[in-house]
Amino acid sequence: MARKVLGLAAAEQLSLLRIAILGLISVVAIGSRLYSVIRFESIIHEFDPWFNFRTTKYLVNNGFDSFWNWFDETAWYPLGRVVGGTVYPGIMVTSATIYNALHFLNIPVDIRNVCVFLAPVFSAFTAIATYHMGKEVKNATAGLLAAAFIGVAPGYISRGLRSSCSCSPSSCGCGRCGLGSALYAALTAVFYFYMVSAWGGYVFIINLIPLHVFALLAMGRYSNRLYVSYSTFYVLGTLASMQIPFVGFQPTRTSEHMAALGTFGLLQLVAFAHFARTLVPQHHFQVLLRGAVVSLFVVGLGGLWTGRFYSLWDTGYAKIHIPIIASVSEHQPTPWPNFFFDLNFLIWLLPAGIFFSFRELTDNHVFLILYSIFAAYFAGVMVRLILTLTPIRTYLNVKDVEAAGSEAEAVPVAKTEAVAGVPAAEQISVSKSGKKGKGKKSEKTEEPAKSEPAPSSKPATAPGDERWNEELVVMANFLYLLFMFQWHCSWVTSNAYSSPSVVLASRSPDGSQHIIDDFREAYYWLRQNTKPDAKVLSWWDYGYQLAGMADRTTLVDNNTWNNTHIATVGKILASDEDTAYELARRHDVDYVLVVFGGMLGYSGDDINKFLWMIRIAQGVYPDDVEENAFFTGRGQYSIGDDASPTMKRSLMHKLSYYRFSSVMGGQGMDRVRRQPLPTEVTVDNFEEAFTSENWMVRIYKVKDLDNLGRSHHKVADFVGRP
Amino acid sequence: MRFLVAGSLYTLSLLAAASGLVHTNLIRTVDLTSAPFIREQIGAVVQNEHASKQYKSYTIAVPASKHAHLASLTVHERKSGVELPTVPLDFDTKRNAYLYRATLRAPLAPNDKLSLNVDMTLSRFVSAKPAVMEPADDQQWVWEDRALVPSVYETRKQKTVVNAPRVTRHTGVLQRKSVVFGPFNATAEDGPAEVAFRSNKEQAAAVHRREYFVSHLGDDLNVLEHYQLKSLAPRPPQYDKVRETIAKFMRTRDNFIKTLLVPVPVTARDMYYVDEIGNVSTSAVTSPREAHGQEFRILQLKPRYPLSGGDQYTWWHGYSLPLHAYLRRQGARHFLKVPFIGHIAASASGKSELTVDMAVAENVAVESYELHVTLPEGATDIDVRAPVRAEIAYEPTWYYLDSTGRTTVVVSTGNVAPGDLGDVLVMYSYSAVAVWQKPAVVALMVFGVFAVAMAVGRVRFGLAQAANKKKSA
Repeated sequence: MARKVLGLAAAEQLSLLRIAILGLISVVAIGSRLYSVIRFESIIHEFDPWFNFRTTKYLVNNGFDSFWNWFDETAWYPLGRVVGGTVYPGIMVTSATIYNALHFLNIPVDIRNVCVFLAPVFSAFTAIATYHMGKEVKNATAGLLAAAFIGVAPGYISRGLRSSCSCSPSSCGCGRCGLGSALYAALTAVFYFYMVSAWGGYVFIINLIPLHVFALLAMGRYSNRLYVSYSTFYVLGTLASMQIPFVGFQPTRTSEHMAALGTFGLLQLVAFAHFARTLVPQHHFQVLLRGAVVSLFVVGLGGLWTGRFYSLWDTGYAKIHIPIIASVSEHQPTPWPNFFFDLNFLIWLLPAGIFFSFRELTDNHVFLILYSIFAAYFAGVMVRLILTLTPIRTYLNVKDVEAAGSEAEAVPVAKTEAVAGVPAAEQISVSKSGKKGKGKKSEKTEEPAKSEPAPSSKPATAPGDERWNEELVVMANFLYLLFMFQWHCSWVTSNAYSSPSVVLASRSPDGSQHIIDDFREAYYWLRQNTKPDAKVLSWWDYGYQLAGMADRTTLVDNNTWNNTHIATVGKILASDEDTAYELARRHDVDYVLVVFGGMLGYSGDDINKFLWMIRIAQGVYPDDVEENAFFTGRGQYSIGDDASPTMKRSLMHKLSYYRFSSVMGGQGMDRVRRQPLPTEVTVDNFEEAFTSENWMVRIYKVKDLDNLGRSHHKVADFVGRP
Repeated sequence: MRFLVAGSLYTLSLLAAASGLVHTNLIRTVDLTSAPFIREQIGAVVQNEHASKQYKSYTIAVPASKHAHLASLTVHERKSGVELPTVPLDFDTKRNAYLYRATLRAPLAPNDKLSLNVDMTLSRFVSAKPAVMEPADDQQWVWEDRALVPSVYETRKQKTVVNAPRVTRHTGVLQRKSVVFGPFNATAEDGPAEVAFRSNKEQAAAVHRREYFVSHLGDDLNVLEHYQLKSLAPRPPQYDKVRETIAKFMRTRDNFIKTLLVPVPVTARDMYYVDEIGNVSTSAVTSPREAHGQEFRILQLKPRYPLSGGDQYTWWHGYSLPLHAYLRRQGARHFLKVPFIGHIAASASGKSELTVDMAVAENVAVESYELHVTLPEGATDIDVRAPVRAEIAYEPTWYYLDSTGRTTVVVSTGNVAPGDLGDVLVMYSYSAVAVWQKPAVVALMVFGVFAVAMAVGRVRFGLAQAANKKKSA
């Protein structure tokens, strides 16, 4: 059997194959993230990463010290932003390190390309880390399958850069937590530190691991291994995470971290109890222990919760209390179809995976069960947390596929492996009996009938023919599912998650691609034709892009740390022209930028976001902004002549529709809202400075005070309006 | 001001008196038809009135205000048409002028006469006036200068003739489509000279950098052109998107620059057009066209936004050329002969069909120009011949996987005159061995890493095994 191929023994062939397969999975993982780069170009396509790109550039140009102490006066004008103290610097430092290393080797790549390709490359690392965790939990084959799943799962792709960056260490770390070696625990702490430095989602991990430990304790599975690994991890990980200025002393203060601290204390008590048990009668200690457990857990839960965390427990909370959080589409509860869309058949295999985990309840499996349940809950609460669910889904589903395989026979497993990108020879490792390790699919489907390995979890009651059929059915099903999974993932990635938000692509009737590039047109106009210290007011969605592409000072951006300031911007946009003018002048605003989709039918425009602006403004200025006043008497959200007076007076409405009807004609329609246009829109205090080709971005200059002291309305009456 | 002018005139005449050379007659012809480039020709009859002294050179004074626009200056002998070698002298603070000295072919003996032609090209020497104007209206430009030609010599008789299209206003005398200032005699008082004319020709100014990248192994000459372009047209009184949208639809005229046309060689390939925030998706290249006996393709670049008067736009584009067409070798000595500067034309035309005439139009004035030629790693003994007066510097560059680095030749100059300036010649030695430098270094590095990995792999870190060994031993 052990024929040598390329002078390698079977075991060596196996590891070579594993490396090759993992390499191929990495290539697929990278490749599936390059749709937008290949279809469009190598730039940052989304809103948020523009900030990472800009800070990375700053880090590369100015060095680490000045990055750490960077006070960015061009953001959150006039407050500014302490960037060094309010970022998770992991991604920037990673990119800058890669950039510097490459330049040291005289490979002068552009920093933009480093940033663009960082995420795909890290997704390959994620796949590899997943492989290792899968190996830990089950075996190498499961690891490979898991890596193949996570490599292409759209739920992971949709969150791009930071997710792949941060979850690779997390998944790697979690898997190792149960090992009980101080070295691995320390390594986990290092990965945890890296995750803390890269993403705020580390809170999930720092709650999950203690929960795992707590569950093990509650199950009476305390062991010295657990003590060593958790204590090492917690102490090192917490101390390391506190080095990030943005985290600072939070691990000792905020409620999100209390569970970890409590569990740590509890573990010490339990360890002490175990030590003391040798000295004192047993039942005394059980009483003591239970008391301690209950009291500590209560303390852990009783702290102060921040709003964003509240919205995890009560999905309605944010909408009522903190509109800024609710206004982000990523923060909405996940609609049910999204689960299937992002995870495909992984979603309904999850319960089966949990079931199989329960059947063999090892420490690792306890972790998997906890992780899956919590991830499922959080994913249901916030769309963006779906990514926490993805890795665990892949593990559990691997378990399913594996289990289903071993149920029916070892062959289907090998089959499914083959589909997932694993060549057939890999099955040597799967069927440990090693009896069948060759050939193509067609051969193998026939073979198991003859060479049936005895150790099967399912009693082989049926005669040979029927068993064969059974296997074939299960196998064909899974084959089909895996095919469909791959197919679906590629389709979703290509169609849903790879369309950039910077440019819009459309097709002309003749099939040629037409790119609508209004955002960059306007941003570049700002960059080239306004004075370098001009302040641009826009809704916060465009803050990072404005800073990155237009290189101008913004009032609010995607950091959203100051709700009041955002509310002020909302108030400026929602109030009438004169109030807005006064407020804008007080904030030194030079330009106001609004996004308007009425000509093109771009539904993500500011008028459609306007209600959120109003709500956020109302939250802070309830006396000045009133949401109901923006609806018509019949409660409709209208923009035409029948709109409410408040709506028609608001700056946002005026700036969006100013002179729009003169180009669309008298019967013009707003193509987003499908309503007739307002006929008379005047703007006196602001002056149109730029409008992009398809009117998507409109920029207005805040007029200087009249030099004769008149109001701008009077000037306009005198001079005349266009 | 008047006092100052009078004072400088006084010193000027004193100096002139000290010199033995005088202009017995001088005619200046100014051509405004090719704005933003102004061609000025001074035809002077020079006489040596010194009793005994012979003159070997002739000095030209260019006032500082005008010198900032000076793109080229040449001196010819009128009869023979021979160009005289001209060198810049130090800045003359007394006259507030830059001086140039032309060396005469033969010394000018006492009482001899010589006719000289001084040709100057001034770039951006007309300005839009009124500076604010409806974009669809006819643009008006104004040429402003002094009525008298400044000189270090006494000028007995002179006049200035200005040729311009569609003159609307002037301070001289209109004679058959030309505006004439003068004739003036030696004692005439200087005054402003002004000619306003209508022209809807696009005018733009640019800061330009062209980079050549030479790759012997790939037989590739990469061209990269950086531009920072500014429209010189009058600014619109207010932004009017409605007019713009309708004008675009109706294809009516306005002065917004909508297309940038770059002729590129027919052999050019892999073209791209990028600015600071990524690709600009609106560009096209034509099939081969012909003009002035040369064949080329036209790269049609659309700026992200139409440039109204005063608007600025920065971008870069590039393409690859086959190196062998530009490189000649004699043994290890290589001669790279490439165009000194690329051409660009701005077009305000709203038509979809753009003609060759638009592409070869001279309407972008380069105010500052830098030429970079990056030679392959290992090129030595570098020598450069530039077709114009320019500063030449050598900078080290490290490109992909370079070990010793390569040299970039930087040729920089100010205003560039329009037209074909000819080629720049870069000579360098590049041996056949140097071609293998990079592959050898990279291979060595890889082997080095391999060797280190092998060595590290053979080191035993564990203690247990060592103990076992001891036991078994």
